[in-house]
Amino acid sequence: MAKLLDVQSFTKKFGGLFAVYDLSFHVDEGESLGLIGPNGSGKTTTFNMIMRELKQDEGEIYFEGKEISRYSTHERVKMGISRTYQIPRPFREMSVTKNIRVGIMPDEIIRIISMNSQSDTEREIGKSVGFKEHALAMYPRELSMGDLRRLELARALATNPKLLLLDEVFAGLTVREISELSELLKKKRKEGLTFIIVSHDLKTLAPLVDRVVVVNFGQLIADGSFEDVIANKKVKEAYLGK
Amino acid sequence: MKKTLLLWAIFAGLMCLLPLFASSGTLRVFIFANFLAIFAMSWDILSGYTGYISFGHPFLIGIAGYTTAMLTRHLGTPLFLSMPLAVLVTMAGGTLFFFPALRTRGTYFALVTLAFMEVTYGLMQVVKPSLTGGTRGLSGLPLLVTGAIPNYYLSFFVMFLIALGLWALTRSGLGTALSAIRMDEDAVKSAGLSTSKLKLFAFMLSALVAGIGGALYTHYLGSISPRGMFDINFLFTILIAALIGGEQSIVGPILGAYFLTFLLEYLRPYIPGAWRFLLYGVIALVVYYYAPKGLYSIFQAGANRFGKKTRRNGQYGQTT
Repeated sequence: MAKLLDVQSFTKKFGGLFAVYDLSFHVDEGESLGLIGPNGSGKTTTFNMIMRELKQDEGEIYFEGKEISRYSTHERVKMGISRTYQIPRPFREMSVTKNIRVGIMPDEIIRIISMNSQSDTEREIGKSVGFKEHALAMYPRELSMGDLRRLELARALATNPKLLLLDEVFAGLTVREISELSELLKKKRKEGLTFIIVSHDLKTLAPLVDRVVVVNFGQLIADGSFEDVIANKKVKEAYLGK
Repeated sequence: MKKTLLLWAIFAGLMCLLPLFASSGTLRVFIFANFLAIFAMSWDILSGYTGYISFGHPFLIGIAGYTTAMLTRHLGTPLFLSMPLAVLVTMAGGTLFFFPALRTRGTYFALVTLAFMEVTYGLMQVVKPSLTGGTRGLSGLPLLVTGAIPNYYLSFFVMFLIALGLWALTRSGLGTALSAIRMDEDAVKSAGLSTSKLKLFAFMLSALVAGIGGALYTHYLGSISPRGMFDINFLFTILIAALIGGEQSIVGPILGAYFLTFLLEYLRPYIPGAWRFLLYGVIALVVYYYAPKGLYSIFQAGANRFGKKTRRNGQYGQTT
């Protein structure tokens, strides 16, 4: 299978601290990759660098075989990479449909102005992630954490991504919400979407991923199937201590 | 949408009939209110929508005013050329706002724009007074039209067309995208939109409106001076008109501008000089305290209540 995203020797330093050091991994087309590690191990920083919300100090990044280091965030989204945030970041004064609408907007002023205000696309995307009709008109302050995560997912899916980065997508959810979201991700996986999922909830993550990459102190410590990685001595030490 | 367009048409119709009833003194107050509405809308499209608070809007208005004033005074350029040129120069000035906005946000951006205004204030007084007129400015400039009624119609129609244009633009996806920048700029980038492009468009649009207003205002007054154009009170009047009226609405700044201009004018006989500004500050605070989203929100709530009542009456067939 062809590599969709290939990260090579990513390094990021904040002051004197290496948040990520010489990190390399890849994700194949149609694959679902788990990115795990203890708190502060550099997972979100890696996501931020993949999206160019942070610029890597060293290293290269290839998407569909093309080196994209110089591409800005919105250009990477247009190429097909999208993300959700660990703490949901909805547009707080906009309804669910308007939030999703921002995701489907074309990146041209004239086309944004001439967009059809009666379009059903955002409603369909909203419903596809599980929003009921009445919830589409709701504002973020009225939504539960589960719905906020759905909204993040809907806005990311609205950009029509090839690769979706999900950051702590199960955090703060009830058991039922976790189950609903897992089913949704499985469905999207079947449709051929490629994922990188960051999660602390390993039990929920296990059935969703083909492979897992483990980082600790910004460095890669394991890369393999879920079962192999969990049995890895370095991984156990990273999570439980020596 | 249709109902709102009807409201715009009613507003235009009433304003067109106004000269039949109002004295020329009242019309002159309306002329100032129209100009203030243009400036406040210009501020709203930039700061109200994108959240990049400009403290330097008089800088843009002043560029337009001084450009057309100097062109007509020193080169004898006719108004139909000097005014569009002034607007173009103002739009170029608007890009000067854009560059700091690539790097700074919030308070820092506001201070940079304030610096633009203050530096231009200083420069206009000391650099080439033979060109700018120095501290006294330039007077005896050609007027576009004379008399209260023609000036009233001119200022109103320009204000009305700008308002309608901006209102339509902000009701499109553009308004949503610009508001999204104010709420979370990084999330807009993550949604695949170039915020630089959107901000540049908003800044140029704001400069375009400020340029049109500044050039017209200068040739309405027939004079321009650094103190009149770059005064901090002028800046605050624009800001308060937009805020008290209701930012991020286009209609709000018009309401705010009319409210403030008439308030100041009708306080004139009772409270002399700068004391009026104190009272107007207090009234602005009271309005802002009770209606933080401005007069427009009160207006909108009234319209919604009226709409609900009409619908309810229609539903039960109880029309009176």
